[in-house]
Amino acid sequence: MIQVESLRKEYDGVVAVDDVSFTAGAGEVFGLLGPNGAGKSTTIGCISGLLSPTAGRIRVLGHDVMRDSRSAKSALGVVPQEIAVYEDASAEENVTYWGRAYGLRGGRLRARTSAALELAGLGDRAREPVKRFSGGMKRRLNFACGIVHEPRVLLLDEPTVGVDPQSRVRLLDLVREQAGAGTCVLYTTHYMEEAESLCDRLAIVDRGRVIASGTLEELRTLTAERDLVRLTGRFDPAAVSAGLAAAVPGVEVVSTDAAHLTVSVEEGSRRLPALFSALASLGAEIRETTLTRPSLESLFIKLTGKQLRE
Amino acid sequence: MPFLLASAVKDLRRRARDPLSLLLWVAIPLVTGLLLDLAFGSEGSGPSAHLLVADRDDSLVSGLLVGAFSQGELGELTRVEEVDAPAGRRRIEAGDASALLVIPPGFGADALAGRTSTLTLIRNPAQQILPDILEESLGLMLEAAFYLRQLARAPIALFSTAGLPSGAATYPDSTVASGAVTINELVARVQPYLFPPVIGLETAEPEPDARAERGFAELFFPGMVFLALLFMARGMSEDVWRERAQGTLRRAVVSPRGLGEFLGGKLLAGAVLLAVVGVAALLAGRFLFGLDLRGVALAVLWITFAGTAMLALFVLVQLHATSERAGDVLTTAVLFPLAMAGGSFFPFDVMPGWMAAIGRRTPNGWALDELSRILSGQSDLAGLAAAFAGVLAVAVAAFLLALRRLRSGFATGG
Ligand SMILES: Nc1ncnc2c1ncn2[C@@H]1O[C@H](COP(=O)(O)OP(=O)(O)OP(=O)(O)O)[C@@H](O)[C@H]1O
Ligand SMILES: [Mg+2]
Repeated sequence: MIQVESLRKEYDGVVAVDDVSFTAGAGEVFGLLGPNGAGKSTTIGCISGLLSPTAGRIRVLGHDVMRDSRSAKSALGVVPQEIAVYEDASAEENVTYWGRAYGLRGGRLRARTSAALELAGLGDRAREPVKRFSGGMKRRLNFACGIVHEPRVLLLDEPTVGVDPQSRVRLLDLVREQAGAGTCVLYTTHYMEEAESLCDRLAIVDRGRVIASGTLEELRTLTAERDLVRLTGRFDPAAVSAGLAAAVPGVEVVSTDAAHLTVSVEEGSRRLPALFSALASLGAEIRETTLTRPSLESLFIKLTGKQLRE
Repeated sequence: MPFLLASAVKDLRRRARDPLSLLLWVAIPLVTGLLLDLAFGSEGSGPSAHLLVADRDDSLVSGLLVGAFSQGELGELTRVEEVDAPAGRRRIEAGDASALLVIPPGFGADALAGRTSTLTLIRNPAQQILPDILEESLGLMLEAAFYLRQLARAPIALFSTAGLPSGAATYPDSTVASGAVTINELVARVQPYLFPPVIGLETAEPEPDARAERGFAELFFPGMVFLALLFMARGMSEDVWRERAQGTLRRAVVSPRGLGEFLGGKLLAGAVLLAVVGVAALLAGRFLFGLDLRGVALAVLWITFAGTAMLALFVLVQLHATSERAGDVLTTAVLFPLAMAGGSFFPFDVMPGWMAAIGRRTPNGWALDELSRILSGQSDLAGLAAAFAGVLAVAVAAFLLALRRLRSGFATGG
């Protein structure tokens, strides 16, 4: 239902998204996982018609978002990363207004408005001015405004940021419900756990590029069940790169500089003593060690040499 | 309800929750009008001096003197009203006129005989300029009368020496006619030297003939209304920044009904408010200046229409600024020259010709000119249609360009 082909977006020469391609189907939650500045919002902006791509092609339900933008936009529901509601209006007025923007009217508009508010847990506060809402409530209203017209394709840009754990669970349930009802959901996040618990397939993005994509299972196998060991201290990058793999069989250096070293290794906890002594003989000084079990996090670290939430 | 209407209603609701600025906009024309009214007095008859004359002489000479105030350029500036002396004093005390001229009995006979006599001019202390003009004019006239008497010794002698034929209340027509003709010719010849200040005053105000028929209200009021419209349009145009800041503009961009109706709704909401202010302004004009409400329905429509065009123009300017602050500066930089050239500070009638010619070609100046015509009952269908087409063209162009800018990244800060 969403097809993104070789999407590229530059801002005044700065490349924000570079050769990104993916597809997402009906009833599927497709995740875009990546750190700050990875290009998630830019990708969503290009799909929703907010931004015009520098190159590439995007189709929503087969409609080209540039050439047939009205049809594409009609199919989309957008929940932007930044809350976008009228503070001086009530929750109900907000949802109703955006419902009209998608052509709803009359009884159906009323029914959909109260359903969306109910889903977002704002049914009893519908008539209150949004000014008085908490941050989390505004976020849920932001969500309600995006789903009022029952879009077939839903774009969610980090919808749970700044939401209390309870509301978060509720929002994630909502997303699952939407997908369960056949909606195609594109979900961006930098929360690993969300991506793991929610997404059927996902793309890991960093600095505008897709560095890995597939189902959760496929991505897990990419890490080859290896643990990641991250060390900080003082290292001689040249000596470590050259000598460590020979000293400890099965160890793979992911990245290294004078203060950091990341290696991947099977059964990391058992190999730690050997790793430490080998490093000592290579003149390294170790101050801190972190061991990460195979996960999207370790995959991300393996692929980029850095943690997701840096 | 179509999205266009929903957008307008949404904006009106938001405005209603911020009644202070709304009140301010309605108050601008009212307060301006009130101030101008206090400054110029409320005769409702233009920036003219109101001269009360108590002619206790009632002679030919005093008649000529009084008549001089209603002739030529001075006449356009002065409204003369004959009163009796006590009533005149009372009215001056009540601030009801610019000055009271008291002509004592025997003034005519004294003047003709060359004897001194004293005229009394009582000024309204509350007024500055107009009594000055009257006083100076009177002084000049008396001087002129002196020279005139020298120049016209013969015809004047005719009156004084011949005296009234016995039993007649007035001089014979033939005597008056020949005397008057001679004096008129003399006056015509010496007039350029006799009334320099009056002439000097007039040069600042071309088209005295057209102006003479217009009152103060008709001269200044349309400009005031347009000043209010410009301020209001500028104020309302800031809303695009608010929509951008709260992210709702982005939602509008990504929704299929999107921007056309969203922006159209903004203009529609603006039009409603402009109409309300237009009605308020016209009512104020009616009660403060006794403005003739001949074309009031048309005037309200025209104010609404022209104001909406200004709103579209200001929105366009806002959308090309790099920040809200820059938009503020930019729209102000547009507003003042437009208001100045477009006749909102000084009526076209008192501008130098070349400036008025430019001013009448600004969109607001063009619309203002038409409003003046509507209010004075001088508008005709062809002129109205031309002005409508012109202002509409400006509005549509501004709207389309604004829409293009909204689509090309204003919402995302690009
Ligand atoms: N309007 C803009 N002008 C210039 N550069 C921009 C603009 N918007 C985003 N960028 C840049 O594009 C890159 C991608 O930004 P984007 O907002 O898409 O990232 P993101 O993955 O959504 O990050 P976050 O998790 O912080 O929301 C960043 O380097 C950012 O600085
Ligand atoms: Mg983002």
